[in-house]
Formats: sequence, C-alpha cells, structure tokens
Amino acid sequence: MTGPFASMPHPVERLLPYRRGELAAAEAAGIAAHLEGCAECRATLADFMAIAGRLERAPDPAPPVQWGAFRAELREALERRTGRRRAARSWRFGALPAALAAGLAALVLYLGIPGQNGVPSGRGPLGESTAVDNAALASRLDLITDLDVVQQLDLLEDFDVIGRLDRLEPTGKS
Amino acid sequence: MEPSSDEALCRRVANREPGAFDLLVERYQERAYRIAWSIVRDREDAKDCAQEAFIRLHEAAGSFAGQSKFSTWFYRILVNCCLDSKRRGRGWRRLLVWRDAAADEREEDPVERHPAPTEDPGERVDEDRQLSRLWDAVDALSPRQRAVVLLQCREGLATKEIAEVLEMSEPTVRVHLHRAFATLRTRMGKTP
Repeated sequence: MTGPFASMPHPVERLLPYRRGELAAAEAAGIAAHLEGCAECRATLADFMAIAGRLERAPDPAPPVQWGAFRAELREALERRTGRRRAARSWRFGALPAALAAGLAALVLYLGIPGQNGVPSGRGPLGESTAVDNAALASRLDLITDLDVVQQLDLLEDFDVIGRLDRLEPTGKS
Repeated sequence: MEPSSDEALCRRVANREPGAFDLLVERYQERAYRIAWSIVRDREDAKDCAQEAFIRLHEAAGSFAGQSKFSTWFYRILVNCCLDSKRRGRGWRRLLVWRDAAADEREEDPVERHPAPTEDPGERVDEDRQLSRLWDAVDALSPRQRAVVLLQCREGLATKEIAEVLEMSEPTVRVHLHRAFATLRTRMGKTP
C-alpha cells in the first residue's frame, strides 16, 4: 500500500457505492486515491463488480408464472378481503345496533302485553288507570273535530301546547 | 405529474377509479413476483407475497404521500410481506405441495427449456454451471442480505432507495451489501 490515502483503513463498505457513483465528490476522491495505492481493495472491488455484473446479466431464475391466473387469483383475494371487511363493518355499525333495537322492541312488547311479566291485565290499580285513560280519550274525541289545530304538527313538539290541547280554542270558532 | 405515471395511478387507486388498480398490477406484477421470489425462493410463496403486497397497496393507496417514488414505497410493502412470510415460516406448504420444481421442469416443453444454441456448447455449460453456483450462493444468504443484493443488481436501486425500501440507514445497507458480496466472493472461490 502506497500514497497519502493508502494509510486509511480499507474502505471496503464504500467500494460498491463508489463504483456506482453514489458518494460525494470528496469522499469518492479519497476512495480513488486509496485504490491507487491498495492492491487488496482493487482486487476486492474487481471481484465484487464481476459478481454484480453476472447477477445483472443472468437470466431470471424465478420459475415462470401465468399472469392471467395470477391476476384472477389476486382479484378473488381482494374481493374476499374487501367483502370480509365490509361484513365486519356492517356488523359493527349495522347488525349490532339493529339487534339491540330488535331486542329492545321485543322487551317493550313483552312488557307491554297485559298479563305478561307481572303487568296486570286490566284489573287492579294499573289496569284501572288504563281504563280511565281510555275513557278520558273517548270523551275528548271532539279534538278530532278540531283537526286544523291538531294538524299543526310542529305544535306537537311543544309539550306545553300538547298539555293544553284540550283547553285550546279551536281556530275559526271564536 | 403525468396522468399515467405510477404516482398518478396510485392516487387513482386511492380514489377507487375503475381500472387504475389493474393497470398498476400489470405494470408491477413481474417485478413484484421476481423480487418476492428472490427473497422467499418458493414459487407459491412468492406469488402469495406479491398478491398480498398488491392487496396492501390497494388498501393503503390513500396513505401514499408522494414523498418517495411509488416504486420505492411499493417495494417496501412487498419486502415487508416477504420478510413476514419468512418469519411465519411456510415450510409446511412445501410438504403439502410435493410437486417440486424439478417435476415442473420435467414437464416443461423441452424445446422451450433448451433453446437453440448460439454459442459454443462447452462454454455455455461452463457459464451455466458458474451461474448455478452463484445462485446457490445467493440462496444461502440471509433474506435481508439477499434482498439488498438483488434490489441493487437486479432492480438497479441505489443504496439510498434500498435503505428506504428496507427501512434501514444507508450505512447499514452498505454493511449488508459488503458482507453479502464478501460471502459470495468466498463461496465462488474468488473466481466469480
């Protein structure tokens, strides 16, 4: 090994990047100077370049593939994957709330059926109050004659108005 | 950006434009399979890895920021699929699919397998033998070293791009490259 750069440690890991022109100018100049004085690094680089050259030129060693079949399999796999994800999403955001809603509705129905689950069937205190409510409703059928008031549906959102419906003067009567 | 550039196509895939994904697959299928094969060294696994990489590309196309080349981004997905596959170890498949490569080769069209010689058959045999030894030596490298060597020599990626693909620093890639080439040199008996 001779020359001013010859005393630097063998820059073995930078030999290939140097040969491929990937180093900065100053670094590349240092390697070039080292190579001039170092037969060992020159031999290493020559062998590495020979190996790289062979690998670059060698015919493709991978076994052949039918690309039409490859794309068909890919399409199927993609559909399976997106289908599964869609199903999972619909379960998370669709099926679960739907099931909960259905369960809740079933529970309400079950509890609402007279005589079920301890709810009295028309006799007893609760049953009596239901009968009284029905009678009150029947006695206020005149509300139906005041349809022009009732049909103002936005009024129905105002519970205060709803609470006073029976006391409202029908429009056009006063 | 050209409308048919890889990067533009990737954005179209992200927008779920019909045909964009197919176009990108056709453009990259051979490279993807070749790289996958060079890492996993098994035809079926390589196909699976390449297909998995395309599926992940389809899912993640929206996250491609365009800061690197599309090819670098896609190769990273691909190499990760291959390394995952190696980690999981799919050796069982080789036991199930016992129609090995040699059997496939026997069934190939002999005319296609042996094209008309254009050079001295003696030299050809010698060259084939040397190449066969070289590929055996490449086979014996670790998957990561093999990936580094083949991304550079077969796909022409620069050290910086390999570093991005393999999520390593450039000095680490240089170390892998050097060690891999030193191993190949030793195994080839210094006469590559």
